[in-house]
Amino acid sequence: MVAEAQYAIETFSLTKVFRDLWGRAKVVAVDGLNLKVRHNEIYGFLGPNGSGKTTTLKMLLNLLHPSKGRALVLGGTTGDPLISRRIGYLPEESYLYPYLSARETLDFFGKLFGLPNHVRNNRIEALLEMVGLMGMANRPVGTFSKGMARRIGLAQALINDPELLILDEPTSGMDPIGTRQIKDLILNLARRGKTILLCSHLLADVEDVCDRIGILYGGRMQVEGSVRSLLQQSNRNQIVTGPLSDQALGRIRQIITEEKTDVEMSSPMDKLEEFFIRIVTKAQQEKLPTSGAVSTTKIGDFLAREQQEKTTALLDQLVSASMELVPQGDAMLEKVHTEEKSQAPREDRELLSRLAKQKMEPVVRLEETQATELTSVPTDKSMEQVGDETVRKSVLESLIGPDKGQSGDAGTEITRPDSSEEDEDVS
Amino acid sequence: MFRRIWAIAQNTLSQAIRMRVAVVVIVLLLILLPLMSMTATGDQTALGKVQTFVSYSMSLTSLLLCVLTIIVSVYTVTNDLRRKHIFLVVSKPIRRFEIVTGKLLGVVMLDVMLLTVFGVIIYGLALFMPRMSRAEGAELEKVNREFFTSRTRLETSLDPDEIEQQSRRRYEQLKEDNRLPEDMTREQVMEVLRNEALSAAKSIPLGYVRKWEFENVRVSDPNEMIFIRYKLRGLPSPSDDQVYGNWRIGDFRSVDASGRLQAKTRPYYVSRPDPVRTFVEFSIPADVVAEDGYVSVELQNNPAISLVTIVAEDVQLLYRSGTFTGNFIRAELLILSRLVFLAVIGVSASTWLSFPVAVLVCMAVFLTGTVNGFIIESIDFVSAAFAILYQFTIRPVLWFLPKFDEAYNPTRFILEGRTLGWLFLGKVYLLTVFIKGGLLLLLGVFIFQHRELAKTSV
Repeated sequence: MVAEAQYAIETFSLTKVFRDLWGRAKVVAVDGLNLKVRHNEIYGFLGPNGSGKTTTLKMLLNLLHPSKGRALVLGGTTGDPLISRRIGYLPEESYLYPYLSARETLDFFGKLFGLPNHVRNNRIEALLEMVGLMGMANRPVGTFSKGMARRIGLAQALINDPELLILDEPTSGMDPIGTRQIKDLILNLARRGKTILLCSHLLADVEDVCDRIGILYGGRMQVEGSVRSLLQQSNRNQIVTGPLSDQALGRIRQIITEEKTDVEMSSPMDKLEEFFIRIVTKAQQEKLPTSGAVSTTKIGDFLAREQQEKTTALLDQLVSASMELVPQGDAMLEKVHTEEKSQAPREDRELLSRLAKQKMEPVVRLEETQATELTSVPTDKSMEQVGDETVRKSVLESLIGPDKGQSGDAGTEITRPDSSEEDEDVS
Repeated sequence: MFRRIWAIAQNTLSQAIRMRVAVVVIVLLLILLPLMSMTATGDQTALGKVQTFVSYSMSLTSLLLCVLTIIVSVYTVTNDLRRKHIFLVVSKPIRRFEIVTGKLLGVVMLDVMLLTVFGVIIYGLALFMPRMSRAEGAELEKVNREFFTSRTRLETSLDPDEIEQQSRRRYEQLKEDNRLPEDMTREQVMEVLRNEALSAAKSIPLGYVRKWEFENVRVSDPNEMIFIRYKLRGLPSPSDDQVYGNWRIGDFRSVDASGRLQAKTRPYYVSRPDPVRTFVEFSIPADVVAEDGYVSVELQNNPAISLVTIVAEDVQLLYRSGTFTGNFIRAELLILSRLVFLAVIGVSASTWLSFPVAVLVCMAVFLTGTVNGFIIESIDFVSAAFAILYQFTIRPVLWFLPKFDEAYNPTRFILEGRTLGWLFLGKVYLLTVFIKGGLLLLLGVFIFQHRELAKTSV
C-alpha cells in the first residue's frame, strides 16, 4: 500500500507542451501548474475554454504524458492499478459504449474493478436507483439523452466507491433539477469523506458546492483559495428584510447616509434555478400535459426525494458494501422501501417545494464576523411562509452538511453577498 | 487479471457482433454456402462436385473471415480511441496490456464462433452431397476412398530446390568454361538448364527401371491398402495417349547372392496401361510394407509394348492415417491460425495507426501471405545480385510475413483427402501464432503502453 500522501492530488510544476510533427513547440497548454487538492475537500477547477483544465485532468489520469513536472494522485500515479482503483472519473462527455445497456455498462466497469459478483450486483442496483435510471436499465445507453448519459457516467464513476472523484463538467446537459441533485450528491459524498475535483465553467454550480477553487488561464493558476475568502466582500453589508413601508426605508437610508457610505435598495431577485424548479413542480402538481419532458422531470422528482431520504441510505450501503462484508438482504430491503415511497408522490412534491422555498423563509442570523445579515424575502406572496424551523434546518443540513466546519452559520452560504465571479475569471 | 481481460473480451465480442460488416459476412456465407453445394459441378463426377464445393466454400469462408478479422480487430481498438471509450477504461485499475490482450481475445472468440458455425455447415453439406447427386457403386466408392478420408502422402524426393541447385551449378560451370550462349539472358539459360535437369531426373527410357523408396510408411493395420498415385507422360507423345509400365512394389533391400529376395514381406507386381498427363492411382495390400516402414516402388518402361520414353512427373505413396472428420477439424484449425495471426496484427497495428491505415497494412500483409511463396521465389531471382543486402533486409521481412499458400493452404489437404498432421499444425501454431504473433503483440502492447491515449487538443 502506498503511504498516505498529504494531498489527494498534488502536481509539481506540471507542464504540457503540444508539439507539431517536427517537434516544435506549438501550444503550451499547461504551464508549471502546482495544483494541491487536500483530502476531503471539494475543489473547483475553473477556467475558460482552452485554459488547460481538461489537459490537466488527462495528465492526472495518465491519458497524456506531462512534458515536464509530475503529478501525484493519492500519492502515486494513476497508471498504477492500486491507485486507480480508488479513483472515480467522469469525463467531459460520457464516452459510454452505446450498445451496452445501462446495467451492462455498470457491470462492465464493475468487472474492470474486479468486484465480486454479489458486490457488483448490489452496487449496480443501488446506483441505478440513485441516478434514477432503474426504469431504463436495460435500454442501450446509445439511445439515452445527454443528461441520462451523464447520470450513467456518474454512476460508473461511483461503482468502486472511490476516495477521489474527478468530475469534468458533471452537470453539462442536465436539466436544472438534475443539476441540483448532482450538486446535492457531491456535497453528500464530500460529507462522507470523499475528495472531489470538480472541473467546470458553470460557475453557479461551482460556487454552490466547492470549498476551494482555482482559476486557470493560459495554463497557469491565476488565483486559488477558499470560495468564501475569494468571494466575500467583507467591506460591504447586505440586509434583507420583510415588507417595509416607504417611511421605514427612508429612515434606514438616512441612518446609512449618516454612516457616510453608499446605499442601494431594491427587491432581491430569485435565483433562476429555484424559480425554474418551482414552476416545474407546480406544473407537475397540476398534472399539465407535456411531451417528452415528462420522463426527465419524473427522474428529477424521483432523485429529489431520494436526495433527502434515500441517498444517505444508498451511500451507506455503497460504502458498507466493501468486498467482504456485504449485507445481502439490504439491497432488497432498500428496494422495497423505495417502491413504497414512489407510491406517495405527494411527499416528493412537498419536498421540492420545500427545496424551492428554503431561501424565502425569514432567516435572521448573527454572524460572528462584523456583518449582520438579515434575510427575509417576500417575493412570492402566494407561497405560504412556513416557519417550521426543524424542516428548514434539515433541508439546509442536507444541502450543506452539518459537519463541514461551517460552525452552525449554515445560512452564510446562501445569503453571502457575492462579488461577481466572472470578474475574477477575467482578471 | 483474467477477469479483466475476460470482461474486455466479452465487450469486444458484443461490439463486433453489432458491426454491420460482421452481419454482412455472416448472411453472405449463410446464403452462399448452401447455394454453392447445389451448383458445384466440377468435372461432373460425384468426386469432382464435392471437391469443387469444399474447395470453394472453404476458400471463401477463409477469405471472408480473414477480411472480417482484420476489420473487426482494427475497428475495436481504433473506435475506442476515436470515440474516447478508452478514457473510461484506462482510468480503471487495468493494465494496458490487459486491454490489448482482451481485445485480441474477443476477436479470436468471434473467429472461433464463426469458424465453428461455418465449418459445421460445410462439413454437413459435403457429407450430404454424394447422396444428393445419387452417386452409386464405383463412383461413391471413389469419393469415399479419395475424398472422405485422410491419407498421409509421401512424396518422392524430386524437389525443385535440388533441380534449381543442380541447374545453377551447371550454369556456373558453363560460365567458367565460357560456353554460355551470348544471345540469351541468365534467366533464359537457367530456364533451359532447369528443364533439362528435370526431364533427365524423371525420364525412364524403354526397358529401364526407376526406383522410388519410401520410408516411414506407418500403416496402422496391415489389412489396409496403400495407394500408389502418379502422373506419367510419354516422350514423344504416344498416339494412343497411353503408356505401359510394369510396377514392382516391395522390400528389395536384401537380395542374396543367388538373386533371391530375403525380405519377409511379399512383393506385388502390377502391369498396367495408364493414361498420360493425369493423376492415376492403384491400391495394393498394405502388408507389402516392411516392418520398419520401408517400401520401394519400381517402374519399368515395358519394352514389350511401350514405344516411348516414360516421364514420371510425380509418384506418391498414400496410406490411410485418419478420418475425414479429424482432418476437417485440423483444416479448420489451420484456418484459425491465420485468423489469429491477422487478429494480432490488426490489434497491434491499430495501437498506433488510424483505422484506414491499419486496415490497409493488414490487407497488405494478408495478400502478401496468400502469395508469399511466389513473392519469395521471384525476389530470390531479382536480388541475386544484391545477395547480402537482400539477406538482411527484405528476406527477414518476408520471413516474418505469414504463409497462407501452398503447403499452408488447408483447402488443399481436404481437397486431396490428405492428412494434415497434428505435428505440422503444431509447428504452424508455434511459428505463426506464438512466435510471430507473440512478437507482434509485444510490439503492440509496448506502443500502447507508452503512447498518449488522448489526442492533443487545446
